[in-house]
This record gives sequence, structure tokens and C-alpha cells, in this order.
Amino acid sequence: MKTNWLFPHRYRLIGWLLFVPAVLLGLACMYAEFQLEFLTVGKLKGIVDWPVNLTDELATLGVMTGLLFIAFARERVEDEMISQLRLESLQWAVYLNYLILGVAVLLVHGDKFIDVLIYNLFTVLIVFIIRFRLLLRKQEREVLAL
Amino acid sequence: MKNRIKVARAERDFSQADLAERIGVSRQTINSIETGRYVPSTVLALKMAAVFEKPVEQLFQLEETD
Repeated sequence: MKTNWLFPHRYRLIGWLLFVPAVLLGLACMYAEFQLEFLTVGKLKGIVDWPVNLTDELATLGVMTGLLFIAFARERVEDEMISQLRLESLQWAVYLNYLILGVAVLLVHGDKFIDVLIYNLFTVLIVFIIRFRLLLRKQEREVLAL
Repeated sequence: MKNRIKVARAERDFSQADLAERIGVSRQTINSIETGRYVPSTVLALKMAAVFEKPVEQLFQLEETD
């Protein structure tokens, strides 16, 4: 059974290698105003009229790419049941993501809501990865229990 | 849906891993099918039937609740 649109299995490791440093960089940017000086670029014609630092952009793209690789790297044996678990986990993650967002809409106001939106860029993938891995682990445990 | 995969496996002296390898799925999938937690696609059911050289209906049967 062909399952398309997945990365090769080794991309899971590559994903982690991207994700961990990018998260640390992102948190340093957000809470310690850390910037990599060499990422400061001058005026971009027609886009910005003042120098911008691209550290947070780099961190965001790194986290996004890392999570996508972790989430959608093929399993060693990727069969139709694994595909179904994938799909169910994704649906579950979308529901939970909007539930969390809904609660945040009610509880978080003003400037802080920007932080919620920043985290929300990644929560679907994070929840999906956790849910999917837990389901796989449960399957493995049931096989071992026999 | 009921299935007789476990019996068919025992008759041929296949482990779950043997069967999984022959039809190209994970061992977890064989286990889930045997315990009725996962209903395989027609393709997979036909592959199992081919391995055991039995008609699909001998391996899988509908239940009244289906």
C-alpha cells in the first residue's frame, strides 16, 4: 500500500536536530531579546525602511520545519493501519488545538494574545506528534504483552 | 467482523512477525487485526488470503452487528 506525502524515515532525526536549537533560539529571542547580529539586514527596498533582525524569523522557520519533519517522517514500516492512526491523530490534534485556542481567546486579552498566537503556530503539530507517538507506543505494548 | 487469522497462522506455524513480513505490514497491524481492533483493507485481506491459500471468506466473516 503506497502512502504518499511523507518524508523518508531519517527525517525524524533531522527534524529533532532542527527543532531543539530553533526552540532554544526562539525562546531566547522572545524572553531575553537575544539577537544574532549577523542576521541584521539593512533596508529592504519596498518591504521595510529600517534595519531588521531576522533571528526570530530564523527560529520560527526552524521550529516549523523541524516539527513538520518529525510529524511526517515515514515510520520504519509504514502500513495502512499506521496511516489510519496518523489521520486520527491529526483530527484529534486539530480539535484539541482549537479547544486550547478557544479557551485562550476567552482568558487572554490585550498584548499577551500575541504570545498565544505565536505558540498557536506550533500547537497543532506538537499535539499531533504527542498523540501519534502515544498511540504507536500503546500498540507496541499490546504486542509485547502477548 | 470476525476473523480466523490466528487459527490460520497456527495451522501454518507462522508467528505474527512471519505473517507481517510476508504481506509487508508491521507486527502491530497483524496483532490489531487478530484482536478485531483494526479492519484491514480489501488489498490486505486478499494478500492474507493469498499467503494462507484460502478464500477471503474463510479468514474473515461478517457479524450480525456489521
